[in-house]
Amino acid sequence: MYQLNDQQIDVILSDLLQRGIQTESLRLNLLDHICILIEENLEEDGDFYQYYITLLPQFYQQQLSELEKETQFLTTLPKRHILLSRNAFFILLSLFLIGPFTSYGVISTIDAVPFRYWDPAHKIYEAIFVFSLFPLLITLVLFFTPDRLEPLIPRRSNILIGGRPFIRVLPVRPRPSSPGIPASA
Amino acid sequence: MTYSPELLKGTLKTIVLKMLGDHKKMYGYEMTQKVKELTGDKIQITEGALYPTLHALEADGLVTTEVEYIGKRVRKYYSLSPAGKTASREKLKELTNFMDTMIALLDIKPKMA
Repeated sequence: MYQLNDQQIDVILSDLLQRGIQTESLRLNLLDHICILIEENLEEDGDFYQYYITLLPQFYQQQLSELEKETQFLTTLPKRHILLSRNAFFILLSLFLIGPFTSYGVISTIDAVPFRYWDPAHKIYEAIFVFSLFPLLITLVLFFTPDRLEPLIPRRSNILIGGRPFIRVLPVRPRPSSPGIPASA
Repeated sequence: MTYSPELLKGTLKTIVLKMLGDHKKMYGYEMTQKVKELTGDKIQITEGALYPTLHALEADGLVTTEVEYIGKRVRKYYSLSPAGKTASREKLKELTNFMDTMIALLDIKPKMA
């Protein structure tokens, strides 16, 4: 079994950096992997550098920097997102839109106690105002989900908030008991 | 026979999460060997696919890491975070469902044991 020395480890580390592996943790991952392969497969009197050079191409297709690019791509995808069911999405959106107004209504009602000062007409106006926001809700959904206008949001679909575009309707999930073709397939 | 990369594409995260669920902690090389062993060499995870995926899982908070120093080398062990455990279950369920769908779609008769 071959035993790598510190100098050889430095050679590998330096070479990985030169070949475009900028992310330190990826470089250390690869270093450990390469060291294990060398120590397990190279004869004690084997040529370290020759073996290292022949070993390296198994890590990539064109060049080693592919790994760096792939890592950067995968780790920089939008992370802050929420995946909601259709119902949860509508509940959230409704709460977001009408929540402040209903809260205002409740607080102002409590504030109007004793009720002799309570103005029913005013409350009706408030209710009309609150519920008039539903068209706005639909408009917002139409605006943020241009990829799924018809039908607006299919049943059993999930909604990703925080992706690109900001609100995205994901393909319909297949029914667990159904052998049908999933929409995403 | 080894499977084509096209078939394996999209299942790597599920494989990694499941393995980490079955073992307390693992490092990259260990994962590649475990998959080879479990599949009789039919599935060989390439390093070029594994490490970017592990970094993505770490960035997503699905795995946690701890390092072990071996001289000048650093060995990074991966284990599932609580979110990773949930994701592992979901991914496995999704894959199982997908396989059932493919069996039905392609009219594949399951082999009798």
